[in-house]
Amino acid sequence: MSDEIRRPPRRNKPKFNRIYFFPVSIVLIYVVLYFISPYTVFVALISSGKVFLSMLVPLLLIFVLMVLINLFVKPAQVAKLLGRDSGIKGTLLVAVAGILSTGPIYAWYPLLRDLKEKGAGNYAISIFLYNRAVKPFLLPVMVDYFGWLYVIVLTILTVVTSIFIGYSVNIAVTPDGE
Amino acid sequence: MKIAISADGPTLESSVTHRLSAATYLLIVDVDTGAFEAVPAVIGTNQRGAGVQIIVTAVNKGAGAIVTGYCGAGIASQLKDSGIEIVTGIKGTAQEALNQYRTGTANEALREDQHRASSYMQRTGGVIQAMKSSCRQFATMLPVLLGVVLLIGLFNASVSKEVLMSIFSGNAVLDSLWGACCGSLFAGNPINSYIIGGELLRYDISLFAVTAFIVSWVTVGLVQLPAEMAAFGRKFALLRNAVCFVMAIPVAILTVVIVHGIERWLS
Repeated sequence: MSDEIRRPPRRNKPKFNRIYFFPVSIVLIYVVLYFISPYTVFVALISSGKVFLSMLVPLLLIFVLMVLINLFVKPAQVAKLLGRDSGIKGTLLVAVAGILSTGPIYAWYPLLRDLKEKGAGNYAISIFLYNRAVKPFLLPVMVDYFGWLYVIVLTILTVVTSIFIGYSVNIAVTPDGE
Repeated sequence: MKIAISADGPTLESSVTHRLSAATYLLIVDVDTGAFEAVPAVIGTNQRGAGVQIIVTAVNKGAGAIVTGYCGAGIASQLKDSGIEIVTGIKGTAQEALNQYRTGTANEALREDQHRASSYMQRTGGVIQAMKSSCRQFATMLPVLLGVVLLIGLFNASVSKEVLMSIFSGNAVLDSLWGACCGSLFAGNPINSYIIGGELLRYDISLFAVTAFIVSWVTVGLVQLPAEMAAFGRKFALLRNAVCFVMAIPVAILTVVIVHGIERWLS
C-alpha cells in the first residue's frame, strides 16, 4: 500500500462559507451606522455584549451536552431506529430518531426518501421532521430564557403534535388510503 | 453481499473518489450479481453533513463495506461500529474497484486501514473524538449566533417598544399568527430563535407570539422548501409546511395556557 493512503488527499480550496454571510452583513451595517450615528453603535454594542455575557453559561452547558450526545449517539444508530417497527413502537422510534438526529436536515433526506419508497409513508417522515424541533443539547439556553416548566410543556406538546401532523399529512397526501 | 463505492458519477465507469466526503454518488453494488443502484449525494462534496449522509445511506442500504480513496478516522470508526468494513486506497473506476474487492486484492488495504482506524480510536479515545465533533458543530453554530447577538444589539438600540406593541397587540390568536409568520420566514439553528424570542419577551411581546415564532422556526421551512419538494414531492412538502404553520398557532396558545395554569396552580 502506498504512503498516500495514510495521508488525506488535499481538499479543494474552500470557498467563502455561507455561514459567514449573515454575521459579515451585520458587521457591515454596524460600520455604516458608525458614520451616521456613533452613539447608536455604542449602545448597540453594549446591549450585544450584555446578551452575549448572559449566554456564556448556557453555551458552556450546550457544549458539554453536545460532547455527551456525540459520544453516545451516532447517526448510524439513529438510522437503524427508522423503519424497523410499525404501530406505537414504530411511531415512538421515529420520534426519538427525529429528536436525536444531528447535522443539517438535508443530510437525512436520502434516507427518508428511501424509507418513503420502501413504504414507510408520509406519516413517519412528517413525525421525524417535526421532532427535529426538539434539540436536547440546546435545552440549557431554552431553560435560561423561558424556564423549566415552559420547556417541558412545549417539548411534550411538540412530540404529541408531531403524531397529529403525521396523520394529517398522510391523509391529505394519500386521500385514497394508498 | 452489498458494498458501497464512493464515485463521481452514477455508473460503474465513474471514478472512485479520492476521499469519501467528495463522493457525488454512492454506488450500492451487489458483489455477487453486479447489480447496482446509484444514490446521489444531496449535500455538496466536502460540505457539512456529507459524512453523516454517507453513514446513514450505507447503513440504510445494508452495505457490508465501503470502498473509497480515503476515509477520515472519525467516519471510519462510526462505520466500523456499525459493522461496515472500510476499504481505502482504491483508485480507478468503480468497476475496477468492484473487481479488486471480488478478487480480494483490496484485502491488504482493508486490514491495514481497519487497524489504523482502531488504533486511532485507542489512541485518541471516544471522548476526544466526540469533543472534536462538538467543536466542529459549535464552530458552525457560532458565526450566525454572533450575528444574531449583534442584530439584537442593533434592534435594542433602534426599535422602540411602541413600534412592536403596534404589531403585537396581546391578542392570543393574532400574536400567534404574526409569530408563526415571522418564524416561517427564517430557518437555521433553533438556538437563534430562542435568543430572539427571549429578547422579544423583554419588550413585553406576548409569550403566544414568541412560542409560535419558536415552533415555526424549525417546523416550517420556506428556505428549505425547494430541497424538501425535490426529496419528497411537491404535494407532500407544501402540505407538511402548511399543516405545521397552522398548527404552530394552537400549539403556542395551548403551551401558554398550560404553563400559566400550572403556575397558578403551584402558587
